[in-house]
Amino acid sequence: MARVAREMVEKSGINVDQLVGLLVKNAAAELTTFYYYTILRCNLIGLKGEGIKEIAEAARIEDRNHFEALVPRIYELGGKLPEDMKAFHDASACPPAGLPKDPTDVQALLKVLVEAERCAVRGYTHICNLTAGKDHRTYDLSQAILNEEIEHESWFSEFLGEGPSGHFMRRGETSPFVSKFLR
Amino acid sequence: MKEFSKEELARHDGRNGHPAYVACKGKVYDVTRSFLWKDGDHQVLHRAGADLTDSLKQAPHDGDALEKFPIVGTLRHVRTEPS
Repeated sequence: MARVAREMVEKSGINVDQLVGLLVKNAAAELTTFYYYTILRCNLIGLKGEGIKEIAEAARIEDRNHFEALVPRIYELGGKLPEDMKAFHDASACPPAGLPKDPTDVQALLKVLVEAERCAVRGYTHICNLTAGKDHRTYDLSQAILNEEIEHESWFSEFLGEGPSGHFMRRGETSPFVSKFLR
Repeated sequence: MKEFSKEELARHDGRNGHPAYVACKGKVYDVTRSFLWKDGDHQVLHRAGADLTDSLKQAPHDGDALEKFPIVGTLRHVRTEPS
């Protein structure tokens, strides 16, 4: 634990135990999404599915990166991950991004993807709101993750025909915002 | 439709096998089966068995998020007499 870092956050008026709880739930959402997206990606096949596979893969890898970036902050603040993997899964801040009943229905698959991203956008917006001007490091991290989650939402939303967002696919590197926390 | 007092609502806290009910704008919703309300807890900050009308103003989603859940009753309005 980073004792003084935690004290500073406490002094700012934040309930650190609650904040850590939220970070654990969002870390669980990232890791479980990484897992569920693996299954979704495997099922993105055929003329419609193949065009989305690369984007789903980029989102999958970046969600894993988000998990990796969140974990040190949880421990710095005196928290820890649950030892039981199943408990960790069930604590997720977002529902499981499970395969739709008809795995060949690419539209349904896209809806699962976009809903998972929207849940993440809501979650990190909430953490940013709680920490803004108080816990600078958690805010910086959550804002970096939020930037990437918004891009993920935009990618899938465009495929669902909800209108243009102006974003491009990643060109080579993943996690343009979060990578500074992974070095 | 059943009318809940605040005390009755509080007993539906999602713990020890009790169903998880939450109130919003006078309606009482059953969130027991929601993944996001396991054991009556929601995103660390909220507990079932309570009126969340005010909390929802700060939530990153609006009250529509509750519309997908069954409505099981209404919350009794407590009128406070002016002193």
